[in-house]
Amino acid sequence: MERTQLRRQVALTRQSLFDQGFLDEQFIQLEDLQDDANPNFVEEVVTLYYRDSARLITNIEKALEKNSLDFNKLDGFMHQFKGSSSSIGAKKVKAECTLFREYCRAGNGEGCTRTFQQIKKEYATLKRKLEAYFQVVRQAGPAETACWPK
Amino acid sequence: MESGAVHTQQQEEEKQKQQKEEEEEEKRKQQKEEEEEEEEEHFHVLAVDDSFIDRKLLERLLKESSYQVTLVDSGDKALEYLGLLDSIDNVNATSSSQSPQQECIYGEIRPGLGTDIFTGMKVNLIMTDYCMPGMSGYDLLKRVKGSYWKDVPVVIMSSENIPSRIRMCLEEGAEEFLLKPLQLSDVEKLQTHLLKSPEKYSSIRIDDSSFNTESSSNITVSSKSNIASKRKALSPEIEERRPKLKGLAVV
Repeated sequence: MERTQLRRQVALTRQSLFDQGFLDEQFIQLEDLQDDANPNFVEEVVTLYYRDSARLITNIEKALEKNSLDFNKLDGFMHQFKGSSSSIGAKKVKAECTLFREYCRAGNGEGCTRTFQQIKKEYATLKRKLEAYFQVVRQAGPAETACWPK
Repeated sequence: MESGAVHTQQQEEEKQKQQKEEEEEEKRKQQKEEEEEEEEEHFHVLAVDDSFIDRKLLERLLKESSYQVTLVDSGDKALEYLGLLDSIDNVNATSSSQSPQQECIYGEIRPGLGTDIFTGMKVNLIMTDYCMPGMSGYDLLKRVKGSYWKDVPVVIMSSENIPSRIRMCLEEGAEEFLLKPLQLSDVEKLQTHLLKSPEKYSSIRIDDSSFNTESSSNITVSSKSNIASKRKALSPEIEERRPKLKGLAVV
């Protein structure tokens, strides 16, 4: 009984992530790569993403603290960060990254700094939401389990 | 009497030692054959990407499509893997007993077709990111096309859809240009681009009459393997490979 409820919760949580624009189609691509041999693939990739991109965030932060901004460097970091974010389907994060790059190209430091705050916010929000989602997933147990033996 | 007994004992030990060595040699041979068979069943892709996440994804995508994958994080590492760096120190990953010096001496006359005749290492496809620190995917493409690995198809990946970039890569000989993030369907489509290398180098001869540039059918090189290749470039007589610009470059 409870399992069914949990599964429903998984589905609803998942759907809301898409409906609210946090995730895009790429996340589904990740889900498609999950199978019996790779049962936690999505969570693994997301975890790796947060671990790996943390240093990029730090690099960008440091670069933004400089008196004279190196827009090329900033754009380079953001290119990488956007790429990773895009690879996990982080829709809102990706959109802010695009905006940041536009400010870079325009040499607009103020715009970069402002947008970066937004990126960090979206980045953290998504992390929270995905962590909560994966927790419910785990509680609900393996999704497409074989039918109970008849 | 005593010395005779010792002599026999020594002989016995010698014999046993020899037998054991022979058995081990036989085992090693068998193992190698099995490994080779396994290698030949799966296509081997060399994937190059500086992004950790993208490498992880690529690995999963490729393994899902039953490819063997080798991942490196830079163009330099890719060249090193292919034995194209000048340094005498670098050795191919699957090299068995060949000395680096030997590889360097014969480096320039090794045939293409995706197989290193000395180590047996084969690469059926190279996939590389375009934007990488240091050597770009485009630079790597050029290096590969100018080497004895020139027949190995190279696919470029990029998160940016820039027509001039795409054109440039295709003109330099890239097989395909894919937009990131890659999807399973992209990888599945790559099957047609794979270089199906022959099983045994020994069956390929430069003066083999089966290398018929006029032939539009499959080029059969050995009696065992069937190299189905639409590309006439497999013939050593054709020196440059200039694939036509494909309309379906961007997926």
